[in-house]
Amino acid sequence: MAQASATTAETKVWGGGRSPFNVSYGKMMMWFFLLTDAFTFGAFLISYGTTRFFSTVWPDPNQVFHAFPFMGHANLPLLFVSLMTFILIMSSVTMVLAVHAGHYGDRQGVIKWLLWTIIGGICFLSCQAWEWTHLHHQGAWWGSFTDSTAPLSSIEHFFNMKNPDVVAALPAGGMQATHDFYNYFFTITGFHGGHVASGVVLLIMVLINTINGVYDRRGHYEMVEKIGLYWHFVDLVWVFVFTCFYLL
Amino acid sequence: MSAHNHSNDIQHLYEGDQSKLYSGVMSHHTDINSSESKKQIGRIWKVFWILLAVTVVEVVLGMFFSHAMPKGLLAFFFLALTLFKAGYIVSVFMHLGDEVKSFMITVLIPLTLFVWFIIAFLMDGGFWLHMNNWSGLK
Repeated sequence: MAQASATTAETKVWGGGRSPFNVSYGKMMMWFFLLTDAFTFGAFLISYGTTRFFSTVWPDPNQVFHAFPFMGHANLPLLFVSLMTFILIMSSVTMVLAVHAGHYGDRQGVIKWLLWTIIGGICFLSCQAWEWTHLHHQGAWWGSFTDSTAPLSSIEHFFNMKNPDVVAALPAGGMQATHDFYNYFFTITGFHGGHVASGVVLLIMVLINTINGVYDRRGHYEMVEKIGLYWHFVDLVWVFVFTCFYLL
Repeated sequence: MSAHNHSNDIQHLYEGDQSKLYSGVMSHHTDINSSESKKQIGRIWKVFWILLAVTVVEVVLGMFFSHAMPKGLLAFFFLALTLFKAGYIVSVFMHLGDEVKSFMITVLIPLTLFVWFIIAFLMDGGFWLHMNNWSGLK
């Protein structure tokens, strides 16, 4: 493939009629948009890291994220977020299968896989809504945990109290750390969730166009490919959010 | 808007028609049931299983070993596995691995700025912690 285009390049570099990057303008611009978006998310996650590095103590993800819908007070650390991650990976697979069907002009295939991707996106958003609601019931929100005179019992269930260093640092730094943690958590997962939500809207628009045969008339399914790039990027960001917030 | 666009049939003016000039995996094919197509689908599912397995390993590490292993080593494992997953998503799902090399490089080079960002900002955070502890201010 690379050799074939190299030969073409030698024969008519300035003759036009070929794409130097072998991509269309629209697809290249989607890549560049995603590049800028990567820097936005990167800035968020790195500032989260900076704040964490200058904090003496930090909430423990195994303590914060241990609940599961309809399981009451059962202690199931990381299980729910693993389900969310699985849903998003799965929707990425159905998306790339839609793109693949598009390369082959298979309209029924594109419709089927886009539908599954939309369902996956909605499932993910529902999970996130549940998680936010659950944390909100525990008193967490933007700008919460600001009262440094509040009793430690209001925050100690977010920390690993088996570690003596954590217990020692909690009275002085615990309230500030909890405040910072939740501000970053809601901002970053909210920004990501906003991306997923707009992705679902775009997918629905592309699905309607596919059903109406717009891309068959146009002769190619490049729009599916472009929305696919966006969707995979959102999955990619989640991989990093998952590591930074839930694992590290 | 433009005096040049006399034609009402905008389908012919759509810029995405450049995609007809693609070559390789990204170009137009006809038979979804061909062996080439099946090979592509097989590759997609293979990557899915790899991503799933890596995520399971990460969750098991996070659940059972997060307090038993040195923090630095654990962070190294998590970041290595995350980059491993990211590589597969970008190269296979986003088809960057199927693009022309010059385009790959164009997309990837700006991202190397992150190396400096991460080192600089995390060191800054670490230095603040050091200063706060040293001066007795908490």
